[in-house]
Amino acid sequence: MAPYLLRFAQCHSEFRLPELDSIANLYGLRMTLPEAAEERDPTLAFMIVDLDSEEHARLLARRCILIKTVYELWASATSYAELHATMKANPARWAPYTWTKHKYLVGAANHTIPDARMLDVIESFDYMDLKGEISLKKPDEIFVAMEEYPEKPSGMISKGHDDENFLRVFFGRQLENGTARNLMVEFDIKKRKYYGNTTMDAELSLLMANQALAAPGTFIYDPFAGTGSMLYTSAYFGANVFGSDIDGRQLRGKDKIPGILQSAEQYRVAGRITDCVVFDVTCNPWRCGELFDAIITDPPYGVRAGAKRLGRKEGLPMREEAKILENGAPSHESPEYRPPKRPYELAELVVDLVVLSRYMLRPGGRLVFFLPTITDDYQEVDVPQVEGMELVANSLQLFGHGVWGRRLITMKKTTSARLPMPTFGRRMPDESTPDGHTPGHQGFREKYFAGFQRVHTPQE
Amino acid sequence: MVKLITHNLLCCHARGCNYPENFPLVFRDVTQLEVREADYNAEFLQKMMPRLEWKALVDTAKQLGDTSLPEELPEGEAMDEEFLKKLHHVLMEIHIEEGAMHCPKCDHKYPILQGIPNMLLAEHEIGR
Repeated sequence: MAPYLLRFAQCHSEFRLPELDSIANLYGLRMTLPEAAEERDPTLAFMIVDLDSEEHARLLARRCILIKTVYELWASATSYAELHATMKANPARWAPYTWTKHKYLVGAANHTIPDARMLDVIESFDYMDLKGEISLKKPDEIFVAMEEYPEKPSGMISKGHDDENFLRVFFGRQLENGTARNLMVEFDIKKRKYYGNTTMDAELSLLMANQALAAPGTFIYDPFAGTGSMLYTSAYFGANVFGSDIDGRQLRGKDKIPGILQSAEQYRVAGRITDCVVFDVTCNPWRCGELFDAIITDPPYGVRAGAKRLGRKEGLPMREEAKILENGAPSHESPEYRPPKRPYELAELVVDLVVLSRYMLRPGGRLVFFLPTITDDYQEVDVPQVEGMELVANSLQLFGHGVWGRRLITMKKTTSARLPMPTFGRRMPDESTPDGHTPGHQGFREKYFAGFQRVHTPQE
Repeated sequence: MVKLITHNLLCCHARGCNYPENFPLVFRDVTQLEVREADYNAEFLQKMMPRLEWKALVDTAKQLGDTSLPEELPEGEAMDEEFLKKLHHVLMEIHIEEGAMHCPKCDHKYPILQGIPNMLLAEHEIGR
């Protein structure tokens, strides 16, 4: 194996390692992360990983949404003196490129190098003695020196006083700019034919498809499909996808051709949209389980759209017989009939989602979903712990000055036991929450609208 | 939409309806049926095969006018590309756009609008 340098895009640092891991897993690549914890720090812009081949590094760059560029790493150091010493010890590295059309590129993360020093840096590599043509526009190879500075507090403008106070400096051969990042432009919601007010943004929809290991031959399901964001990105990566939602208006839209199909055609993935069906996941028509390789969803959590399930509000009994209208016809057969719905508490929904996934996934299949959390209330045990479903990754994206956020949860089905269809709260006594734990996201909607202030008792 | 793969994986879920009496749903009043090309993937088909109810698939395809599938699910070498292509066509390319699916036991009607079936139950049909 050989070292390759990854440069990450400057966002979603908590999502970088899980994505890298997922894509290595998807292609079956061997990948070793640095041993020292500080070099594995996912908030750093650069990371060195060991891979079997250049081709594997290129695969990562083409599929990871959070990779900006990959390089073949020739040397890394904490000073230029050390960097040059390492370089000079291995001139065979650049010998094959003596006559190559090339250019040098000097750059930095969290810093802007003054123009004057850039030239000095380039000249300091003169010992490589490259004789090939220099081409700034169409080089065959780009040799890169990259300096990494500590992240500055946001809003602080660098005045250049910390120039050369870098943490690490790297030298290598640029292999490829990450092309998957361009998909963010392609899947931009603003340019999408059909979307709604809770549509997941392009970058996270793509990230989720990566966590779900979407690929040709796989079958992926979104049980809260809404306007279908994750269906398009999963289908783009080759998966056959299936969507369901309790609200048919979301799936259909207002036109004659359903909205989801219109956007799918725009992305040329209509041929992989298996179907979209209206039903309530807690009262679903699936004939059997173990159908899907992944379940990928952004469950409604009540800020922009409150979750609903079939039933009547607390305490109200359900009708036992069909209601017969004056004309003698049963009311539910009329086209205007809408069954009663009740609010679906987030904490309950999340547990149901994990239990549904355990039933509907093939052994080894993945569940990928967003869990909204309130920073002060969140505890690790809030992620539902269901036997046979194992946590793979848990990455936080913060909002509202860090008061709340959402966690991208990736789970894997580890059981191969054949299970019965879950009953979703029409629970048998032995199905109640085992430890009586109340998760921090319980009542998320109410807490959100109350500005996440702690409720004080009158005595205080 | 409503492809035969979907039809083969869903059943009536009204209270009192249990497998196998609630399956397969019966297509009625189909006023719009379309054939649209879907992306062929042999690996996907092979993975789905053990989940399919073969007789239900063959019978439903026949009702819709497609007789290309053999009565018995082929085994071993008979499961060749020619067969998989036929299966792909029946499972993935026939779309029922308007009509309804009825439960063979309780006759609950699941209407299909713009190719999207409404599988919501009425209040009194929800299991307790």
